[in-house]
Amino acid sequence: MSEKSTPLLAVLQLLRKYNLKSTEDILRKEASLGDVECESLDLPEVELASILTAHHTESDPFTYELAYDGLKKFIENSLDLYKYELSTLLYPVFVHMYLLLILYDHVEHAVSFLEKFGIEQEDYYQEDLKKLSIVKHKDQIKGNELAEIYSTNKFTVQLSRDASSQLKRYLHEQKNSSVIINIINNHIQIEVHDGPGRTQAQVRATAGGVLGEPMKSENRTKVYYGLLKEPDIQVLPAPVEDEEEVEETPDKPKKKKAKKDNLFMKKPKSDPNAPPNDRIPLPDLKEIDKVEKGKALREASKRVQLGPDSLPSICFYTLLNSGHTAISCDICDDSTLLAVGFNNSNIKVWTLTPIKLRGMKSAEKLQDIDREAGDVLVRMMEEKDRDTCRNLFGHSGPVYKVAFDPFKTMLLSCSEDTTVRLWSLQCWTCLVVYRGHVWPVWDVRWSPHGHYFASSGHDRTARLWATDHHLPLRIFIGHYSDVDCIQFHPNSNYIATGSSDRTVRLWDCLTGSQVRIMTGHKSTIFTLAFSVCGRWIASGGSGGDMMVWDLSTGGPAASLPPAHTAPIHALAFSRDGTVLSSGSLDCTIKLWDFTAITDESPIEETLNNPIPKEDKYLLQSFATKSSPVKGLHFTRRNLLLAVGTYESSA
Amino acid sequence: MGDSELAYGSSLTLDSMKVIAESVGIATLGDDAAKELADDVTYRLKVIVQDAMKFMHHSKRQKLSITDIDHALKIKNNECQYGFIQPDSLPFRFASGGGRELHFIEEKEIDLSEILSAPPPKVPLDVSVRAHWLSVDGVQPTVPENPPPLSKEAQKLESVDPISKLSKPSNKDSAGKPICGKAARLKASESVHVKQLATHELSVEQQLYYKEITEACVGSDETRRAEALQSLACDPGLHEMLPRMCTFISEGVKVNVVQNNLALLIYLMRMVKALLDNQSLYLEKYLHELIPSVSTCIVSRQLCLRPEMDNHWALRDFAARLMAQICKTFNTSTNNLQTRVTRLFAKALQCPSQTNNETGPSMASMKESEKTPLASLYGAVQGLAELGPEVVKVFILPRVRWLGERVEGALSGIGGADRLAAGNLKHQLLKVLAPVVRQLRQPPDQPEDYKRDFGYLGPSLQQAVSKIRSSPSCSTAGGAVAVVTCTPPLLPTAPSPSPSNISHTTKTETVTTRNLVIASSTPQSPAPSTPPPQKFVIVASQQKPTQIQSSSGTGHIVVHSSQPTIVRSQNVQSVVVTSGPAPGGAAQKLMVVGVQPQHNQGQAPVSVVAKPVFARGGGGPQPPPELDDLSHLA
Repeated sequence: MSEKSTPLLAVLQLLRKYNLKSTEDILRKEASLGDVECESLDLPEVELASILTAHHTESDPFTYELAYDGLKKFIENSLDLYKYELSTLLYPVFVHMYLLLILYDHVEHAVSFLEKFGIEQEDYYQEDLKKLSIVKHKDQIKGNELAEIYSTNKFTVQLSRDASSQLKRYLHEQKNSSVIINIINNHIQIEVHDGPGRTQAQVRATAGGVLGEPMKSENRTKVYYGLLKEPDIQVLPAPVEDEEEVEETPDKPKKKKAKKDNLFMKKPKSDPNAPPNDRIPLPDLKEIDKVEKGKALREASKRVQLGPDSLPSICFYTLLNSGHTAISCDICDDSTLLAVGFNNSNIKVWTLTPIKLRGMKSAEKLQDIDREAGDVLVRMMEEKDRDTCRNLFGHSGPVYKVAFDPFKTMLLSCSEDTTVRLWSLQCWTCLVVYRGHVWPVWDVRWSPHGHYFASSGHDRTARLWATDHHLPLRIFIGHYSDVDCIQFHPNSNYIATGSSDRTVRLWDCLTGSQVRIMTGHKSTIFTLAFSVCGRWIASGGSGGDMMVWDLSTGGPAASLPPAHTAPIHALAFSRDGTVLSSGSLDCTIKLWDFTAITDESPIEETLNNPIPKEDKYLLQSFATKSSPVKGLHFTRRNLLLAVGTYESSA
Repeated sequence: MGDSELAYGSSLTLDSMKVIAESVGIATLGDDAAKELADDVTYRLKVIVQDAMKFMHHSKRQKLSITDIDHALKIKNNECQYGFIQPDSLPFRFASGGGRELHFIEEKEIDLSEILSAPPPKVPLDVSVRAHWLSVDGVQPTVPENPPPLSKEAQKLESVDPISKLSKPSNKDSAGKPICGKAARLKASESVHVKQLATHELSVEQQLYYKEITEACVGSDETRRAEALQSLACDPGLHEMLPRMCTFISEGVKVNVVQNNLALLIYLMRMVKALLDNQSLYLEKYLHELIPSVSTCIVSRQLCLRPEMDNHWALRDFAARLMAQICKTFNTSTNNLQTRVTRLFAKALQCPSQTNNETGPSMASMKESEKTPLASLYGAVQGLAELGPEVVKVFILPRVRWLGERVEGALSGIGGADRLAAGNLKHQLLKVLAPVVRQLRQPPDQPEDYKRDFGYLGPSLQQAVSKIRSSPSCSTAGGAVAVVTCTPPLLPTAPSPSPSNISHTTKTETVTTRNLVIASSTPQSPAPSTPPPQKFVIVASQQKPTQIQSSSGTGHIVVHSSQPTIVRSQNVQSVVVTSGPAPGGAAQKLMVVGVQPQHNQGQAPVSVVAKPVFARGGGGPQPPPELDDLSHLA
């Protein structure tokens, strides 16, 4: 109200100045402005004039082009020190000028303005401009996704102190045209930071978000990115027969510790960045889960150390005859099961080992089983039916994600039909349908500790659920566009989301608040992966670009050279955290040296080394035979499993 | 809006709106209303397409599909577009007339009873998972499941611009072969910019592979040969050995043509066939070596030691088919391959006198040496026939009269070989011409007309044509020459009234074993325009005890028989038909190469091809059971 009435107030003041009493009364009546406000309108002369002239110039289409051209020239001619920071202003100014022209019904001018200056904008904005260019009427601004984002939010631009004073001086000089001043006042948030102006590379590193860079204050909160202290699980000295009970003695594992590989035991001890173990209530481990964990640790001790000199072997699972129908896949943690979600609402689960998939016995038969028997878990399974593949029917739309729980007893899936479903891998039926999202659900992920899961969807929200609640525990709101992917932090305390607004955000599960917002991606983010240590997060986008972020600062740690030519839909870290693998629709799998990526980022002074360090990141690239890569998974022994669908050229 | 070129196709025009309005019964739509509507509909369509993109991305595709649009409509609270479900894009047709241009989707009227009575469509194949190694310790194995290490495009680029290979010696993308130290050093000392020679080094493994493959291909072990050919036809990553393979073939053909070593020529042609079938090879670079070799095997004057005995006709047939395949695959407007090949064969058929005189002089006036040998004529006819009925019409049909004279002359002559050749040529001509003539001429087939038009061959041609007309199967075949694949009774041993019988009887006592090898095309023949026709091979030989050997492998059938047998081969990799006492076939096959040691004993081995062969031929025993190898292509 107050913003809108400012011009009105200005007019009132003008009327009073010329002592046009009756007109003033009529206006006051018509605008239903109370008497209270008449005292507050003590505007300085200059501002009064500018407001009144603004009204005139804003509707004059020719001034826009001139004003934009002037601003461009000013930025081009300014010192290199300020130039690149200032140039980030151009895009929001341009967009709002276009929208204003549309708003004032100068459609032809708007179109020619877009044609003239649109191509000059940064390449990563071109996609947005294409979307914006379809808006050709003021009624269309309301209701258009992108135009609404721009008109209802402020674009954030970071300028150094000097650059902002330069800008101020320039704007002061432009007395005759207040278009830019108004846009900057209304739609652009300028955040001034101390320190020198940033270089072109620095500016480019964080540019790209729909609404510019994040405010510095948004990334101040401390993030406990360390790993939780693992509950001690006794590692069996030798692989005894599998069905045998593991002697659980959680109280006295200390003496065993010395025997264990120090690799697995040193980290949980005293990580200053780790959250307290009870920050988020985690479920107690069940007996069977402990067996599973023990198995995992045993497997891990046989892990192959990876590095630039010892690359992992890749086993590629090709889904034949699936064409475009298979759209999501997941491999369970111990690499024995493969689940694939299809376009036709079906979910298929394959076993990757000779162990067949078995269903549970019927209820009557289960009653006959002696519950005290040691092998009750084996006995309750049906002996007869043994399949290598089982179907799960229930969804009524494409299944966009399937996810095994850490203990491979359950499976989550999300679909276009707006639901998330929980399936039992013992009964092979659907257990729960979680409704809450109103629009298609793009992604769903388990917490690494089970019990919790998170989903994200077209409704621009991400939600945190617990399997025993039919309503979400937390709803994370803040993204400006679809939340395309979601990922749990290894310590289950945080959730990362990637969105079509080209930001990656980190949310605290405890408070539900946003603790990090990271910009710099140049395209929609389709996949996220936390590093094993929990400090880094890697993201892959639709343009084939990948970035690695540092959660401690919220800044980009590295922008990997654009190696993929098609959207990246799969990222996976090796179990020892040294190799990052990426799989893309361009039918390649690439391996990246993650130690090099994180090692070199703090050391910036080696500027004159002949090889750009980006070149050293890429270790190897493997092409598949026309099979887009849709899933990647490292086994506990560091063998890379990849899943793709064979798409014949016909 | 519609008149600007840029906007065309990206926004709806006023005309479209009016047409759409008419279709729902609004006869007069004002221009203003139409414009408003057009703008609004355009906007809404674009929004829907933009939303559909999201669904496309989340379905991990790069191509928008109809279901994406449906889902986008759904989130906009609109009804889906029913009835447009199709896996691929719907063809958008265009029509213009009366000053109006129209784009539309074709809607066929479908007869329901037809669908109901039709057999149900095949159940689509179920999705299955298959695993393979994409990489083993960072090295990509070259198995068929993986892409070839060097794509066809890259091979092409390399052949056009060899420098491009040098500029990136350490190609990270290709399967990791260690960069040899020499190249690295050369790269390091770049003080003088010398144009480097492209080195073609083969690794030890590749050398070994090359040796194994070439030995197996020309060796005596038929199962090994099949494996080697299979490897040549399927394995990716052979491109580095390709130049050597091609040289091997062309040198081999040169040597063995001179020595009339029929068996080896057949083996070499089968190698060519295998290389042609390999999808990952860029063969264009080596056609200059392959084509002369193949054409040699088609039209050469003599391909075997005893033309009256050996079945070199099969080799000519096989090579002709290869040539047709080469033409089909590699013909472009720049290399004019097919034209050149056609000209080559046509020249062989050229009547030497045709340029001088329309009627042609009598055969007596030509010197014997000037005449193209009948075997070459046969080859040329076969080569042209494989190129299609049109070629037959233009190049063979006008020369029938002259060819008939040659055949007549040879049949009445005394030379046994010539008579056999003439018989074969005649048979081949009839086979090739009959379907074409059937298309050209109207039904009343009068022997006199044929005699007048085609000379000596007229009456036989008339018979063949009327036979084709009466047989129902050919009426559907529609003049495709290739369909007629009944192999002529080539075998000299066939107890048929063919003239070869005479020559055959003289040699009968030596003939103990006969081998007939029919290699059907490998599964991935590049352009199988028609399904491979069934093949009937009639085999007959002398009266010896019958024995049926058990099949030796999954893909091979060995038929062993003394009675005339019809072998029907369709999905079998190879059929080996032998007759006579069976076992030890492999040992006897060895003898083929040992047939002519007397020619070569003094000579130094001429080529790699001959090497293993001669070594065996010189040392081994030399009983002369002859082997007749005839290879066919489905």
